[in-house]
Amino acid sequence: MRIRLSGVKSHLGLVILAVFIVLFPLALSNPYYLNVANIIGINTIIVVGLTLLIGYAGQVSLGHAAFYGIGAYTSAILTVTYGFNPWLALVLAALVTGSIAFIIGTPTLKLHGHYLVMATLGFNLIANIIIVQCDSVTGGPSGFPGVPPLAIGSWVFDSDIKMYCLIWSMAFIGIVLGLNLSMSRVGRGLRALHSGESAANCMGVPASKYKVKMFVLSAVFASVAGSLYAHYLSFVSPKTFDIFFSVELVTMVIVGGMGSIWGGLFGSAFLTSLPNVLSSFDEYKDIFYGFILVVILIFTPEGFIPGILQKLDFYLKEKGQRNKKRIDDSSEEPGLNSVSGIPLADSCSSKRLEASNDIILGINNISKSFGGIAAASSLTFDVQKGSITSLIGPNGAGKTTTINLIYGVYKPNLGTIIFRNNRINGLYPYQIAAMGMARTFQNLQIFDNITVLENVMVGAHAISHNEFFVSMLHPPSYWKEEKLIREKALEALSFFGLEKEADLPACQLSFGEQKRLEMARAIVSEPELILLDEPVAGLNRAESITIAGLIMKIRSRGATVLLVEHDINVVMSISDKVVVLNYGTMIAEGTPIQIQKNELVLSAYLGGSL
Amino acid sequence: MDHLAQFIVAGLTTGSIYALIALGFCVIHNATGIVNFAQGDFISLGGLVIFTLLMGLKIPLIIAFPLSVIAVTIVGALLERVAIRPARSRSIVILVFITIGASIFMRGVFKILWGKNQMGLPPFSGETPINFAGATLMPQNLWIFGITLISVIGLHFFFNRTRLGKAMRATACNPRAASLMGVNVNSMVLLSFALSGALGAIAGIIIVPITTLSFDIGVMLGLKGFAAAVLGGYGNSLGAVLGGLLLGVLESVGAGVISSTYKDVIAFGILLLVLFIKPSGLLGRGDTERL
Repeated sequence: MRIRLSGVKSHLGLVILAVFIVLFPLALSNPYYLNVANIIGINTIIVVGLTLLIGYAGQVSLGHAAFYGIGAYTSAILTVTYGFNPWLALVLAALVTGSIAFIIGTPTLKLHGHYLVMATLGFNLIANIIIVQCDSVTGGPSGFPGVPPLAIGSWVFDSDIKMYCLIWSMAFIGIVLGLNLSMSRVGRGLRALHSGESAANCMGVPASKYKVKMFVLSAVFASVAGSLYAHYLSFVSPKTFDIFFSVELVTMVIVGGMGSIWGGLFGSAFLTSLPNVLSSFDEYKDIFYGFILVVILIFTPEGFIPGILQKLDFYLKEKGQRNKKRIDDSSEEPGLNSVSGIPLADSCSSKRLEASNDIILGINNISKSFGGIAAASSLTFDVQKGSITSLIGPNGAGKTTTINLIYGVYKPNLGTIIFRNNRINGLYPYQIAAMGMARTFQNLQIFDNITVLENVMVGAHAISHNEFFVSMLHPPSYWKEEKLIREKALEALSFFGLEKEADLPACQLSFGEQKRLEMARAIVSEPELILLDEPVAGLNRAESITIAGLIMKIRSRGATVLLVEHDINVVMSISDKVVVLNYGTMIAEGTPIQIQKNELVLSAYLGGSL
Repeated sequence: MDHLAQFIVAGLTTGSIYALIALGFCVIHNATGIVNFAQGDFISLGGLVIFTLLMGLKIPLIIAFPLSVIAVTIVGALLERVAIRPARSRSIVILVFITIGASIFMRGVFKILWGKNQMGLPPFSGETPINFAGATLMPQNLWIFGITLISVIGLHFFFNRTRLGKAMRATACNPRAASLMGVNVNSMVLLSFALSGALGAIAGIIIVPITTLSFDIGVMLGLKGFAAAVLGGYGNSLGAVLGGLLLGVLESVGAGVISSTYKDVIAFGILLLVLFIKPSGLLGRGDTERL
């Protein structure tokens, strides 16, 4: 329900915005304010792109003033010096800016951390100096005059009110595109990346690709705004595009609330008009500006708009819903009763027939060392299609390392890994996810900034296809896929008894619920092979039995399971095959019964006395 | 390349200043993870205060120097106490932008108190040039090298040999564990801002005699110091010093060979190059995420 509600909310918001845009000039007494409104509109276009970058991709850019400037100067130079059509110039400027953003973003966004801030900061300073120094092309410090106004046929945008219509139509379109993208598969994937990059990667979200695309898109937004600016003022000056404006743009995003397009609109309106309001303070202007900024950030850190929305939301819905949930929790644990009664030993004997002799995963002689420590050395084992294969061993035996090697999180130093007859070592986790593998994590990796349902929908990232363009434009094919993914996700949630929690923020779930959520997220893509890394660790006996039953149900749905687990009871009761590791080497493999009798295992793993 | 030695001397001089500024960035980053954009204003304030003490109040240098450092140290601590601590639980990006707001605020105050005019200070001890290995050294250059060296050694001693310094390093590694071991994390963060203030002040005081002073002198210097810190490996103290000196020399030699108008392009071009080729910097280490 929550998603649909927010959808309605944003449609309502758009209608209100449209009405406001139309009525605003009619209510104006002083034409000067129209000028301010136009600058707000231009800034809004940049801020929408930047909001997507900061709030969704989690990357801060201090170079957007430069992109804005490159857009403005390219438009100015192409139209004045070379006589291009202004609209063609606008498109070319966007292409140039997008390419530059691609060149800067590609190397820096491959890395974790905030390298983009540093690179864009340096880039903005350089771009500004070059604009000032190349005065034969750019007009140098005194600026570039005589940019013609935009025109459609004989309709020339040569007055404030005409430009108002154009600028705010573009800003409106920008907001719609931004909202669409933020609520789409891509938006979900980006928010998941923001919350846990490696985990999102393992769901099939290509981290650096998405970040680069988002960065390029936001640069293109800035470039279009720059072109509009150049044609509106008919004059561009390097001072408009210095590093301080970049800082101001990011401030607009943050004051409005990171991750909220509406917040960005508010931030751009607020901070663009603030200097005008403060102009009566004259030389105390900067002091007030800085002071207001600090105060806002300290007291409403989520920004104005999300802060207000969150409070409203909380009082209207969350409170009631959460209270109800608590009662449900105490009365019965959903999904628990349905399987907890299964005598595990019985199902153990019957299922062995289901496992076929086809090998779905082949580990051949892989080794991995960290520094001088061999976490895995010459490991070789197979996983039969349709089986439950368990990987056990004492702490530090290399179990999770093996999982990470299979999933491409680590690259093996030696050896090959074959999955469904393809060699997969060397591939990235998101590529492996797309080939039909899914996993859970030893340390819970819930995306706590989105809802339970959205978490599971991110799990389906690898099997869905709506990319950036489709996600912005929302054609019918987009909705078809969204609906399908949502249904699959709801089905996966009810499989793990979490359907009632679907619309809660994932961070509100209990530990046990989060474990089940991880498993729901892993099965939603209907993978051929699921790697479960300690699914029952930290759970009590009853919960463990439930999970064990669910693991068998996963297998009966057609998936193969590779299980890493310390809980010997669970391992022995549901596994077809057990592989025992110690100090990175395999010391035994066989059926649970063989393993229980194996001398090596007894001495190394269970302790010699047994 | 007749002037190479001269360029190197000039580069090492500004490089020493960059090193001090970069160290200021590191100290705060290590304690809090914040990039402190008010670092540049610490530099401005150091220069402005000593200007007033020396020229306005005619206080001798030997007293004015420590007084100025103390004044900026207090401002640094105040910044943490008033603007950062109330928001400590927020995300890093918010905290970074609080420092930006504080920077705008401080610059506004400086502009009113000291005006927009350019000011100058005489060198600490005369202007008799000294010839050394084909380059001409001014006494102020020696002051800059000496004071930077003393600051770096002092800082090294503090972090490695004193209880307080070790507590600060522990806080940097893991604030939670440090607090469980009895370290007062709040005071460590406060101390890091105070220490950055002191480092910024020293940089501002020693550079003023070789440049012109204005209320916003620290802005560009702060950005260069930031670039130096990235070049050395952000958060690494030794890297900060190395990065500062290297950036200063490359910038100075580059400007001499190409053109001084592109001096800043060279400095920030180096920053971009480092990010593209070895983003963890000269001495930095990449970090890994545990799944």
